[in-house]
Amino acid sequence: MTSDARPERDAAHRLPLEGIRVADITVVWAGPHVTQLLGEWGADIVRVEPVTTIQPYSRGAERISTEAQYRYMGSTGVTMGIPPDFDPGKDPWNRSPAFNSHARNKRSMACDIRLPEGREAFFRLIEQCDVIVENNVPETIERAKITYEILREVNPRLIMLRMPAYGLSGPYKNYRGFGTHVEGMIGHHLIRTYDDGTPDETGDAYTADAIAGVMGAWAVTAALRHRARTGHGQQIEMPLAESFLPVIGEYIMDYTMNRRATGQQGNRHPARAPHGIYPTTGADQWIAIDVASDEEFGALCGVLGAHALATDERFRTAGGRVEQRTALDAALGEVTRGFDKEELFHALQAVGVVAGPVHNDVEATRSPQLEARGFFEELTMEGVGTHRYPGIFTKWANTPNWIRTPPVKLGEHNQEIYVDLLGYSQEEYDALCARGLVGTTYTPEVLRGRD
Amino acid sequence: MTQMLEGIRVLEFATNVAGPFAGKLLADYGAEVLKVEPLTGDPSRQTGPFPDDIPHPEKSGLFLHLNTNKQSMTLNLEAEEGRVIARRLIGHADVVIDDFRPGLLDDYEMHYEAMSAGHPDLIMASITPFGQSGPWRDYAGSEITLQAMGGPLHGNGAPNREPAKLGGNTAHYHAGLATSLAILLARFRVEAGGAGDWIDQSVYEAQAGFRDRRTISLTAAAYSGLSNTRQPPGGRAAMGVRPAIDGYVNIFAGGTKHFDGFLDEIGRPDLKEHPDFGKQVHEYSAEYQQEIEGSYLAWLFATPKLEAIARTQRHGILGGAIMSTEDLVNDPHYRGRGVWETIDHPIAGPLEYPGRQLILSDSPKAPARPAPPLGAHTVDVLTQLGYDRAALPRLRAQGVI
Repeated sequence: MTSDARPERDAAHRLPLEGIRVADITVVWAGPHVTQLLGEWGADIVRVEPVTTIQPYSRGAERISTEAQYRYMGSTGVTMGIPPDFDPGKDPWNRSPAFNSHARNKRSMACDIRLPEGREAFFRLIEQCDVIVENNVPETIERAKITYEILREVNPRLIMLRMPAYGLSGPYKNYRGFGTHVEGMIGHHLIRTYDDGTPDETGDAYTADAIAGVMGAWAVTAALRHRARTGHGQQIEMPLAESFLPVIGEYIMDYTMNRRATGQQGNRHPARAPHGIYPTTGADQWIAIDVASDEEFGALCGVLGAHALATDERFRTAGGRVEQRTALDAALGEVTRGFDKEELFHALQAVGVVAGPVHNDVEATRSPQLEARGFFEELTMEGVGTHRYPGIFTKWANTPNWIRTPPVKLGEHNQEIYVDLLGYSQEEYDALCARGLVGTTYTPEVLRGRD
Repeated sequence: MTQMLEGIRVLEFATNVAGPFAGKLLADYGAEVLKVEPLTGDPSRQTGPFPDDIPHPEKSGLFLHLNTNKQSMTLNLEAEEGRVIARRLIGHADVVIDDFRPGLLDDYEMHYEAMSAGHPDLIMASITPFGQSGPWRDYAGSEITLQAMGGPLHGNGAPNREPAKLGGNTAHYHAGLATSLAILLARFRVEAGGAGDWIDQSVYEAQAGFRDRRTISLTAAAYSGLSNTRQPPGGRAAMGVRPAIDGYVNIFAGGTKHFDGFLDEIGRPDLKEHPDFGKQVHEYSAEYQQEIEGSYLAWLFATPKLEAIARTQRHGILGGAIMSTEDLVNDPHYRGRGVWETIDHPIAGPLEYPGRQLILSDSPKAPARPAPPLGAHTVDVLTQLGYDRAALPRLRAQGVI
């Protein structure tokens, strides 16, 4: 949505979190997703980021590659770190897709909490915040002496969301893991492994971050509501692993009911066939098909002109199709191979068969449905360029919403946060900058220490 | 102890996973959720898993899990009087969740504009495959097709075969969670003096906004014009899933700043002297990669998966083991933290469920009530609405309840 086309929001339909301020000391992916969602719905997100050290896996700054290296990564299909036009520029930490995909609607202040000057600024910020979100290993927060017990002395109304991988207690307390590792530890990786394959074939999915991000924003919003009614802030402990457990609840129940561990499922469904990903014309082109009834199977065979499949005695009933699904999948794939995935998608939908083309990233950015719904938004980052970013994934009929500010650069709001918000004098602020504690680039020592 | 969501009245006209998960989250943390089921019940009552695989509408693991702390009434919305009752119930509700196909709320004369007239606090949340607008609005979707179109499915799996979906009903759980968040946000605005709203949650769009894999790679696609692709197993040295003696581990060591500790752990400190040490993992020579992998796999062949994780974690190395649900439920870590909750259901009996996701210092989650038997609260709800008990047999005979 372009700025001149933005409709008005009246006072009754303002963004719900306007007036809520969030201190964001999150790293990597799941924590930043929480603050992304809170920011999208109106909160003032203040990202606290050091320039005196590089936070790993966050702004993609710890490893600076050349254009040739980025082009090589692209040629192998590893795209998540590639900057615009493969150009790392002078400030590669402002050009990472992994960071910029969440960093809209945020402000950034340079501040190293582990240093006395940074701690002073951070505590001043905490005084003026409603919420703090962190997703570090517990020992990191303990070592930095910024636990809830300490921060609530600074601000008794504070809500603190802590989202370590496994919890603030227990044998795995200080285990380090990304979403993909957590998915392994709780059983999701095994369930999504091909039914006829091995777990090393299914790679990394980072699903736990997607769930924990939304659940974290949910928990903060619920706690804000509780505070509005009781006046009480609180600590919310939400390990990634535990926020994900309900998502495999039915499989956990199968174990607690029947002492049966769920096996590898891949694309198969326990009660429906055909149910899977089938080849279509072109290299690496696929369509998902999910048939739930005899009528749908008949309609599928009709569209495909697959008379032999429709009349095959083995596939006549749902039970037979499930039992014979290996043969069915092979036979069906031979037929779908001759169809264009987009044409087949529309033809199957027209007769009530649930189907959908498998869209790679570039195809997804061209979806007519997402286009019609205005999902992607064009944002301009000065010096980085104008690009289309994934937008806000929930629509409210009477509360038009859009991304208010583009992905935030390192230390972009130092001046306004230190001076206007935290009450530093211009002289004090200038001194912090002069000493290299505050800035918009990492210190020369840090940059020299990179690989 | 006050629950976070006490006093919020929710009506759930939703079935299967997404809508009921949105409602469950609200119910588990204190909201009053009334599930309005068709006369045959939520289809998830038929889905299972069932104890000993014997189907029973009150014993489906999926249903029991997704409907804790709710009440249930039956109501036939195809009958005019059913819709009259539904509209009266909405008049007393703060939040309504539905998963009707687009247009059905209009057919039922339950659309937001009409329902919120004189009730501006009302929040309605409608979950559909593709949303309430757009060229694909009326298309059907399911877990696998919506992951395929909207989500990161294309990048999952092995490069030499078909892409693989994420496990179970992940897309629908995610969309339910997104809906529940929107409801809470809108309710927070209402309680601060603002208006309610009609929330339009598309599962497809939630998948397109699925962080990390999808939003990062959609941004990368805008930056580079390229899509991420399925990666070959074992393609990068000491990165990713490998077999251990009793299962698989997923350890990220190659090319990281903790790689020296890893080499010590697998007994190859000499590989720190190699010219490729310190390079990025994709820059390792084939010979260096073979040296690392040979020793790593030999080490794993003698090391149980959880021990391999414990020993690499000591060096700050990211990783996890590939566990089964059996491993999970018996794991002392979660058991010691009290993750599982035993809930006694009047028909299904006592079973262990996934319990709290959150540990809250000021508003701990109360013990759960079991999922409701079908229609357990129909009579109570109707008498509270002012129906005479004597009228109920007629409603029943007419197929309204």
